Amino acid sequence: MRALDWAVMFAWLVFLVSYGLWRGRGSSSTQEFMLASKTMPWYAMGLSIIATQASAITFISTTAQAYVDGMRFVQFYFGLPLAMVILSATAVPIFHRAKVYTAYEYLEHRFDAKTRLLVTVIFLISRGLGAGLALSAPAIVLSVVLGWPFRVTILIMGGLVILYTALGGIKAVTWADVLQMAMIMLALLIAFGVAIWMLPPDISFFNALKLAGAAGKLNAVTTTFDWNDRYNIWSGLIGGMFLALAYFGTDQSQVQRYLTGKSIGQSRLGLILTALAKVPMQFFILFIGAMVFVVFLFVRPPLVFQPVAMEQVQASSQYAALESRYEQAFDQRQAAARGIVSSAPDALRDFRAAQTNLDAARADALNLSGANDTNYIFLSFVTRYLPVGIVGLVVAVIFTAAMSAISGEINSLATVTVIDIYKRHMAKDSPDSHYLWASRVATVFWGIYAMVFASTATGFGALIEAVNQVGSLFYGGMLGVFVLAFFVKRCTATGAFVGVLAGEAAIFTTARFTGAFLWYNVVGCLVVVAVGWCISLVQARNK
Amino acid sequence: MTDPQRTVADEPPPFLGTWKRIYILVVIYLACVIGLFYWFTKSFAPSSPI
Repeated sequence: MRALDWAVMFAWLVFLVSYGLWRGRGSSSTQEFMLASKTMPWYAMGLSIIATQASAITFISTTAQAYVDGMRFVQFYFGLPLAMVILSATAVPIFHRAKVYTAYEYLEHRFDAKTRLLVTVIFLISRGLGAGLALSAPAIVLSVVLGWPFRVTILIMGGLVILYTALGGIKAVTWADVLQMAMIMLALLIAFGVAIWMLPPDISFFNALKLAGAAGKLNAVTTTFDWNDRYNIWSGLIGGMFLALAYFGTDQSQVQRYLTGKSIGQSRLGLILTALAKVPMQFFILFIGAMVFVVFLFVRPPLVFQPVAMEQVQASSQYAALESRYEQAFDQRQAAARGIVSSAPDALRDFRAAQTNLDAARADALNLSGANDTNYIFLSFVTRYLPVGIVGLVVAVIFTAAMSAISGEINSLATVTVIDIYKRHMAKDSPDSHYLWASRVATVFWGIYAMVFASTATGFGALIEAVNQVGSLFYGGMLGVFVLAFFVKRCTATGAFVGVLAGEAAIFTTARFTGAFLWYNVVGCLVVVAVGWCISLVQARNK
Repeated sequence: MTDPQRTVADEPPPFLGTWKRIYILVVIYLACVIGLFYWFTKSFAPSSPI
């Protein structure tokens, strides 16, 4: 990065944090701090929900996912619009009318205190892990790219997040997200434009599509069902819908967003906006990754994308031989790619053979360093080929995208800690100013927790998968108990409580047999509902 | 603590009249998007399996 990039990066960081603080000013009550006094318009809620999901991980990992594995990851989002429809029709009016601050508060209205406490604890564990991961994952990558020590990167990111979240609450978080979302789209459009601009003069956009397709990168829809295949249309529609139902319907970091709506209608519109925008947006991000792959067919990419690992490989005695193999395979692949464009016979076969050789050389280099460089592919493209100034902007957007995700998470963790634990079990009748103070303390606590966790958690592969895998271990159980609460009128408190425990046991058992984590949500939810319903039935008969 | 609810008013959507119609529109939209992606996948699939 050059001086102008650093200047742009720091200017954006200062501007975003200041904007968040300004929008969050005057949060002088818990209602304002946690629910923005229910004043948020639908577009702010919708964009905030999308921005939280379009975190740094989206930039770093989703593009790389397409580069390595093709676009089939988009199927993961197919169930999301269906979940949004179901939640708009059910959870939104129920939560609004129940007059709750948190989703778990509703469980005590419906069942009892122990069920509320159990689900609260599950949320705090899962979201606490998620917050640590959301901070750790991009910090690892950014520290390498920026040349900062890992812990300094965490300290800066975590410190800024704590500052505006503790002072401004949900208003600061939501409005900062709206601005963030606009910049995310701008940065993505620039990256896409540069990728297309970098194609050689004899390679048209249609040729680029042909090459990406030939390399198997445009595999957006897979209709074959395979239990162990993580991403196909069936796991996306069914498993993805359950995951989205659980995430948006039971995770306080999302529920809190639409509880800030002016009315039920405004909250519904916020979710509908998410339903319409999310799938095409993810498709576009993955498509950028596929186009970066095509660019690297003609512009030689580094042997290893991770700069520190690359230095280790260069210091090794095997470097020269590896580099020579890689160079040869790259030249063969480029020639085969031009053959595919001109429809030469056997070009596809030659392309695949060259790709296999190239992948083997890269794998040997990565084995030497022991690194996984998947998450450095897109940033390597950005820092090498984007114009000066724009590099700083894109890195800054990635930096603040990470902060956006974390701010929402620590804000929700603080809200649940105060409402469902502190106020419910420890200090029941204190004045509102006391709870506001407690909320700020809890925000600082969870921010520091995320920083400590992040500084010790390293070594994840594709970040986007790690985050969703952790979430899927818990979401099925949480979704199941809300299904019981909303739809099974005769379900008893004991049925719900035991059902959640059984559901979590089922999820962890399933995880031992398959890594297709989208199905964990389905299994967990179904077991909770089945066990809860059966126990309730037995209790009713005994009475 | 203060009352968390200033208003819980429901309201019709800004277009199509009812929420049910909005939901149907979302489902049709999703079907179209998946159909488009399927066509995209098939159009640029390699001529022989990978």
